[in-house]
Amino acid sequence: MLSVENVTVRRGRAQVLNDVSLTLAPGKTLAVVGESGAGKSTLIAAILDLVRVAAGQITWAGAPVRRCSPALVMQEPRRAFNPHLSLRRSVMEPLEAQGHVIDTSHLTTLCAGLEIALDLLDRRPTEVSIGQAQRVGILRALIAAPPLVLFDEPLSALDAVTQKHTARLIADLQREAGFAALIVTHDLGYAAAYADDIAVLRAGQVQERTPAARFVTAPQTDYGRTLRDAAFALGALERVA
Amino acid sequence: MTITATGLTATRAGRTILYQSEMRIAPGERVGLVGASGSGKSTLGHALIDTLRAAGHGVAHVPQSPDEALDPLRSMAFHWREAERALRSPPCPARQQELFAALRIAGGDLCKRPWSWSRGMQQRFVIALALIGTPDVLVMDEPTSALDPVVAAGTMDLLDRHLAHSDTALVLITHDLGLAARRVDRLMVMDAGRIVEDAPTAQVLASPTSGAARSLCAHRNWLELPC
Repeated sequence: MLSVENVTVRRGRAQVLNDVSLTLAPGKTLAVVGESGAGKSTLIAAILDLVRVAAGQITWAGAPVRRCSPALVMQEPRRAFNPHLSLRRSVMEPLEAQGHVIDTSHLTTLCAGLEIALDLLDRRPTEVSIGQAQRVGILRALIAAPPLVLFDEPLSALDAVTQKHTARLIADLQREAGFAALIVTHDLGYAAAYADDIAVLRAGQVQERTPAARFVTAPQTDYGRTLRDAAFALGALERVA
Repeated sequence: MTITATGLTATRAGRTILYQSEMRIAPGERVGLVGASGSGKSTLGHALIDTLRAAGHGVAHVPQSPDEALDPLRSMAFHWREAERALRSPPCPARQQELFAALRIAGGDLCKRPWSWSRGMQQRFVIALALIGTPDVLVMDEPTSALDPVVAAGTMDLLDRHLAHSDTALVLITHDLGLAARRVDRLMVMDAGRIVEDAPTAQVLASPTSGAARSLCAHRNWLELPC
């Protein structure tokens, strides 16, 4: 269980996260939504121990999160890789550095699940499409079978059709591998379709946490309603008779 | 009068990326140019702008991100004056006030540089710049994808309201059929450098004929909820 307890992060005099508490059980998906500047990406940085937490604590199964080697999938897939290395090197290097033995059959299975042709891994990040690069980003995150995977806007660089396809692949892999997923996203439609729960962050504070199915019909806060209505106005959610 | 642009085509490094295409746009019409990444939407948008400008039509362009339109070292007032000069129109404070009110940026400090304004205000300022000369056609390329959803929805609503009283036609370029479906009367679907479908929005949504349109329709939104 990921446990974020009363976490505050300051940047200068500003409180980027203000007394944030969230939990995420193994195998479950929590989407964190909110407008730009709400503190969503800072929450990921805090969980990964990349920013100093001024107050509160973050644990996985009662121990510091770092010990469970959480993985991160980044927003801009092609910028998430070393441009000079083949994708295969980028996927393998962190594993080798940590002394993991690379199980070829695990790699082959994951590639099949992510619809990555094995020879694609011999190319460099600039030689593949954004959609392909993001699938390799997910491969890199999942190859060491982490119990916790953090996704920072994993779909926002992709076109609408590729977004839906990639979301389905992530969900299928999660069902098989059982990792807990924390997904930071602007896209309430994605959150509503794939998360168990939706947490709304605004100005560094959690406004509400609601089961996804209930959020789209009955958000608990005015701001939650604003986000839901924006998703309708932009066609991410559709009302049908 | 309907504007027609014919012979729209483009090549890059000897490869055709836009095959011979034609667009007809009626005054005040809203057209969505939709397709997957790399299908040629933006290329067609640029070819359309060049062709219409060469034919003497007023065409304005709103890029995906305000960063592409605004110089970080210049004040907002400078950008406004420069746009007026480019249109050879004398300074018109009344027009400025009208557009600022319509796009809700009246409170913005014009002496500031772009980065002092929020992203949403910057993008609405760019839209206001584009509308100064009341163009015949306004071409918007993924105008909301750099904005968060609340700001994006609000910006599109303000633009909808403003264009409702105008003869300016809108060409909305987007990969997102869900967004286009809300905002345009007619959809042109692109695939591999060709326009593969051109029909009223409701018709494309109800019975797409091309593979590209069927794929976009199948992935139009994330969830459909009974109302």
